[in-house]
Amino acid sequence: MSMRDHLEQTHAYLPRLTRQFKEGKVSRREFLRTSTLLGLSATAAYSIIGLAEPGKNQARAAAGGTVRYAMRVMPIESPHTYSWLQDSNITRNVCEFLTRTGSDNVTRPALCEKWEASDDLKTWTLHLRKGVKWSNGDDFVADHVVWNLKRLLDPAVGSSTVGLMKGYMMNDEGSALWDANAIEKIDDHAVRLNARAAQLAVPEHLFHYPAHILHPSENGKFGVGSIGTGWASLVEHELGKKAVVQRRDGYWGTPASLDAVEFVDLGDDAAAIVAAIASNQVHGMHEGTTTQYAALQKIEHVQVHQVATAQTAVARMVMTNPQWQDARVRKAMRLAIDGPKVLQISYLDLGLPGEDHHVAPVHPEYAELPFLKQDIETAKKLLAEAGLPNGFETEIVCKKDPDWEPIAVQAMAEMWKQIGVTVNIRVLPSAQFWEIWDKETNPFSFTEWTHRPLGVMVLGLAYRTGVPWNESKFSNPKFDELLTKAEGILDVDKRRELMAELETILQEEGPIVQPLWRSVFTVMDKRVKGFEVHPTLYIFCENWSLEA
Amino acid sequence: MVTFFAKRLGILLFTMLVVSFLIFITFEFSPGDVARNVLGPFATDLQLQLYRQEHGLDRPFLVRYVEWLGNFLQGDLGYSTLYKTDVNDFIWGRIGRSLILAGIVFAIIAPGCVIFGILAGMREGSRLDRVVSVLSMVTTSIPEFASGVFLVSIFVIWLGLLPGTSPLEAAGGWSVTSQLVLPVLVLVGFYLGYLVRMVRASMVEVMTRPYIRTAVLKGLVYRDVILKHAVRNAMITPFTAILLQLNFLVSSVVIVEAVFAYPGFGRMMLEAGLYKDVATVEAGALFGVFFVVLTQMAGDFSYMMLNPRIRFS
Repeated sequence: MSMRDHLEQTHAYLPRLTRQFKEGKVSRREFLRTSTLLGLSATAAYSIIGLAEPGKNQARAAAGGTVRYAMRVMPIESPHTYSWLQDSNITRNVCEFLTRTGSDNVTRPALCEKWEASDDLKTWTLHLRKGVKWSNGDDFVADHVVWNLKRLLDPAVGSSTVGLMKGYMMNDEGSALWDANAIEKIDDHAVRLNARAAQLAVPEHLFHYPAHILHPSENGKFGVGSIGTGWASLVEHELGKKAVVQRRDGYWGTPASLDAVEFVDLGDDAAAIVAAIASNQVHGMHEGTTTQYAALQKIEHVQVHQVATAQTAVARMVMTNPQWQDARVRKAMRLAIDGPKVLQISYLDLGLPGEDHHVAPVHPEYAELPFLKQDIETAKKLLAEAGLPNGFETEIVCKKDPDWEPIAVQAMAEMWKQIGVTVNIRVLPSAQFWEIWDKETNPFSFTEWTHRPLGVMVLGLAYRTGVPWNESKFSNPKFDELLTKAEGILDVDKRRELMAELETILQEEGPIVQPLWRSVFTVMDKRVKGFEVHPTLYIFCENWSLEA
Repeated sequence: MVTFFAKRLGILLFTMLVVSFLIFITFEFSPGDVARNVLGPFATDLQLQLYRQEHGLDRPFLVRYVEWLGNFLQGDLGYSTLYKTDVNDFIWGRIGRSLILAGIVFAIIAPGCVIFGILAGMREGSRLDRVVSVLSMVTTSIPEFASGVFLVSIFVIWLGLLPGTSPLEAAGGWSVTSQLVLPVLVLVGFYLGYLVRMVRASMVEVMTRPYIRTAVLKGLVYRDVILKHAVRNAMITPFTAILLQLNFLVSSVVIVEAVFAYPGFGRMMLEAGLYKDVATVEAGALFGVFFVVLTQMAGDFSYMMLNPRIRFS
């Protein structure tokens, strides 16, 4: 079978996509992402673009050893409702996912062995891997997957997966699946998702961090000794202190090299973690902060790992508040800011300047617009037009941790002063901040948003009318219409055109000022092989090995 | 004697009651919501409401306080929303570890301050006195978080002689004992200086007394003058002060435990306070009050015993 036949058989769109890539209309990154989402194997995709697949030829040290990883050890009882990442990092070693999105943004099969998308992207067939056994000896079958998917989309359970998949899997109110047959078991090793709207990123959504595949007999609870399909079992978990996962026999995949991974909770003190790494008490840590960067670089036996991400924070203005109702005022606030300067001051230049539209250069469908440079004169003019020639006074709320956020807000406040807007800063402890982050009574606030692999994902979560996380109450029917269209379009050029329009709407009338995209970095002992930093800080311990 | 202790016991119980009530009020009116902390930042209002109803968090304040008090008096210290287990399960381990730390520190500074204070005070103005005084002043003026960072930079990062944190797990080739060195050193550095200067001051004052002059003029060996007359009199006031330092150790451990990630009482209180875990903070605070009042009692009692003039009045 020729490559062309293979492509066509996998999905009708692939030959066209390949041609667009060869003509230079589609970037390598976009090709990799889209082709693998449509069901092409990662190996084939990499061979088409002519690059070696990363991670395949990594040196592997001899088997054995325990790696110690400094990370908060959080409660883990309810994987489907996880809202942090650290809990998922522990559970991932025991209970796996149907797919996996790597640090190269390519989604690969995990418990699924492959998937097929219909031409209209509304019907997705997931073929499950055969021969996988749970740690209690049960065979892994479709019934288990159906149980998990139904539970993830059950509003009573409260998983954030509902917010992610509501648009295509659930009814308008979000109270039930849109059709009784939306999740359909075909046979023991195949499940079909019948969506009510086209959705390109289904395989990526299946890797949403709470979507662990759990054994139905445990009813959604997870703990020491839980049944899983993963390379390890959880043998110890003491909240706030330590958790240990240990390799088990009978794993379906390549046998892991390590004996165990120990998660050590060293609290929040940045200096303590640096000290622990320097004295070899731990091999690596969850995420470095800018205050640790200089010290970490000097430690010789560790390697600094860094990756550009779509992690950011936005100063969002609530549109229903009289202060922010005029689009000219909002645009003036954007024009006052010098993104590259804020990046330098608050985040040591580790990242990229933001462009106020929440779509990052690392997003495959990112459409490049002319860069919105700082323009004090125009900003002042806009304010005058809006009836505020002498500026005004207001207050912004931000949280204390991590350090870069208050620093960035201070830098921006100085810049806003230049257009006559006095912004008083109210810094709150995290717990208090999260209570009011999305309230209308909090009209101006600096909110952290984490990395998502797709530009349309964040736009859908934050700026679509009426969705739960639309903190700014932004409501633009044209925007919603374009977004829904973009989410279903395969053709990259056409999608990018729509993205350009969406980005422009946000730059002109949108509710946010976005100064930067931050890169994420961490360190790992050089003796640990196979470690890669993921934009969302996921870790895949079965790939690690420890040199003696 | 009996009335002495009975009165003190009464004061202790009253103080604990008042403190527990004040803590409850403080938590009630401070920001931060237990439901939000447990369910995470993305929970909907409906989920928060359900959680509060389920855990009786929407009942009147006094009802909850009385219920908590009743449970506490029966030995049920409550359920920790932060650590997801009964407070009884972990608090004693935490207290124990902090007491070990405080105990080691105390075992070093108690004889230490006596020796150096005496040596410095017995010859005021001598070179030894000057050196000890200056060193004491310097070490006491450096706060724990600063000295912690200095010591870590020197011993962990530069010399590589000691581990950087103290989770009390034998890992990475560091014994548990080696993990105690730096936290102890930080606390000793901070408290020793103060106590040395206090003992020294008392000693200097005693050395000016007429009876010391008499003893010397009598022809007594200088060493006997010091040991038999000066020290005993000089130690009366500092003795109580040394015991009272234990109170400050209880609060100091918070900083040291945070800096060195020591799994003790202080760090637990810090995390529980930030998380609004009422049960843990109450239990911990009441233990703190108990410990403080106990040391006060011991201090008063010892002062009475040591000073015959008070004992027989």
